[in-house]
Amino acid sequence: MTRTPGFDTSVAHQARMYDYLLGGKDNYAADRAAIDAQLKIYPDVAFAARANRAFLGRAVRYLTAEAGIRQFLDIGTGIPTAGNTHQVAQEIAPETRVVYVDYDPVVLSHARALLISHEAGATNYIDADLRDTPAILAQASELLDFSKPVAVTLIAILHAIPESDDPHGKVASLMDAVPPGSHLAVSHMGTGLLDSETQRGLEAHSGRAMQQRLTARSREEVARFFAGMDLVPPGVVRIEDWRPEPGADAGQSVLWGAVGRKP
Amino acid sequence: MNTVVPDGEQPFSGLDDTPVEATVLRMMLGGQLRRLREAAGITPERAGLEIRASRSKISRLETGRVGLKGRDVQDLLTLYGVTDEDVLEKVLALVRQSNTPDWWAKYNDILPGWFEAYLGLESAASTIRSFEIQFVHGLFQTEDYARAVTRPGRKGAPAGEIEDWVRLRLSRQALHARQKPPRIWSVMDEAVLRRPVGGPAVMRAQLRHLIEAGAMPHVTLQVVPFSRGRHAAESGSFTVLRFEERDLPDVVYLEQLTGAIYLDQRSDVEQYLEVVDELSGEALTPDATTRFIEQIARET
Repeated sequence: MTRTPGFDTSVAHQARMYDYLLGGKDNYAADRAAIDAQLKIYPDVAFAARANRAFLGRAVRYLTAEAGIRQFLDIGTGIPTAGNTHQVAQEIAPETRVVYVDYDPVVLSHARALLISHEAGATNYIDADLRDTPAILAQASELLDFSKPVAVTLIAILHAIPESDDPHGKVASLMDAVPPGSHLAVSHMGTGLLDSETQRGLEAHSGRAMQQRLTARSREEVARFFAGMDLVPPGVVRIEDWRPEPGADAGQSVLWGAVGRKP
Repeated sequence: MNTVVPDGEQPFSGLDDTPVEATVLRMMLGGQLRRLREAAGITPERAGLEIRASRSKISRLETGRVGLKGRDVQDLLTLYGVTDEDVLEKVLALVRQSNTPDWWAKYNDILPGWFEAYLGLESAASTIRSFEIQFVHGLFQTEDYARAVTRPGRKGAPAGEIEDWVRLRLSRQALHARQKPPRIWSVMDEAVLRRPVGGPAVMRAQLRHLIEAGAMPHVTLQVVPFSRGRHAAESGSFTVLRFEERDLPDVVYLEQLTGAIYLDQRSDVEQYLEVVDELSGEALTPDATTRFIEQIARET
């Protein structure tokens, strides 16, 4: 089951809104209008986007440098910006292989054009929906060796999957396919991080103004994505509190983040 | 400092950190001049009067399409209420820096002003995206192909002039060899590959050259095959130039027989970005494009 979106710039798109927040130029008037509306509900939205990007960087550095991972399955690639998964990983280990997955053909065409691997490693690009895990695994196996540990990264994407599409089951089937020593990294729009009025406002806005309807989940629901795995300390925390580095800017994100290891 | 800048930043701050291309410098200086003029509530006509120039000259100056003269900039800044000696000094130094001769200066005899501006933008861009419906993009043409494309447009031109055009086109390709070349992402209609410009032998060599170009890490080529039917090509050929500097807008370049149009208003640019985004989603992937060009080369 894939649901490829039509290319429509008249309705805000999560990947392009994120691009705008990170200072990119691949966004359209509707994306910027949606951000302006979000800012009225939640003034830290740009901080949250930067914090999410920074979390991706710290998680990938941890996975490469400390956990020894050399293969990544990055689902929900988004529009390329600075510090993409393969760049962060290949800076530490140039031989790292990264498979990028996105269901949006235009986002994916940007990835193909702009996410160019170090010559010692490799990148590949898969046009598939997170809900279609058999398709993802079959195509990813062309570049990745599933007998060796793989890090699956699901950064700010699971909240676009409603309960009716069984997000926990999808993550479990991905992690079943990878061997012990593999890792999972998640960031996820969360409940319990903002006052309930702001929370309700953000969810209602996504339903009104965006192509993706977003579902925030609690800390426990996010922890459940790591069922059967060992959480890397400090566990499930606000993304900016996950192994913070000095010099990070201040603000309050609305995302839970965690990294876990399959024993 | 007694100047007023809408966003509250110091005027001309951040311009002297790293050496930048003269064109980028002109665009940034021009943008700053526009902001200062608007903040002072002065019309382009009034500004033009001050330096004995037209409204459109002010517009070209503010978008970096023409060189800046120190004297003009000094007069404009005075009109806009910028009187701080240090600021004036700094700006005039930047103006001098923006006037260093460009590599294409030796082609001045043949080069129309409307195309010279493009050369500046192209060599300053960090990303070049294009959609081609007729001809292979100039950055990927072989010498023979370039000669075959150039000749019909310049009937009666002396042979030497045609050779100058060909050399100029090939000189642009020096950017491929830079330490940090721009990203070049070119989408083309199948017609570009089918039209045997210069005859089959020239075209076969051109197709092989395209395959080699596509293998360079900074280049991405995609073909929209006829079989994809309808595509967003009502626009004709165009090039979108993007610059590293966050403040600089994308510029769309539309070439015509006797001139060119440059668009940098966000609402205009976005329509072209939308077309090229949609086309890149519809087109063959870069790998499939290589196989497709190989197939056409065998048929040519």
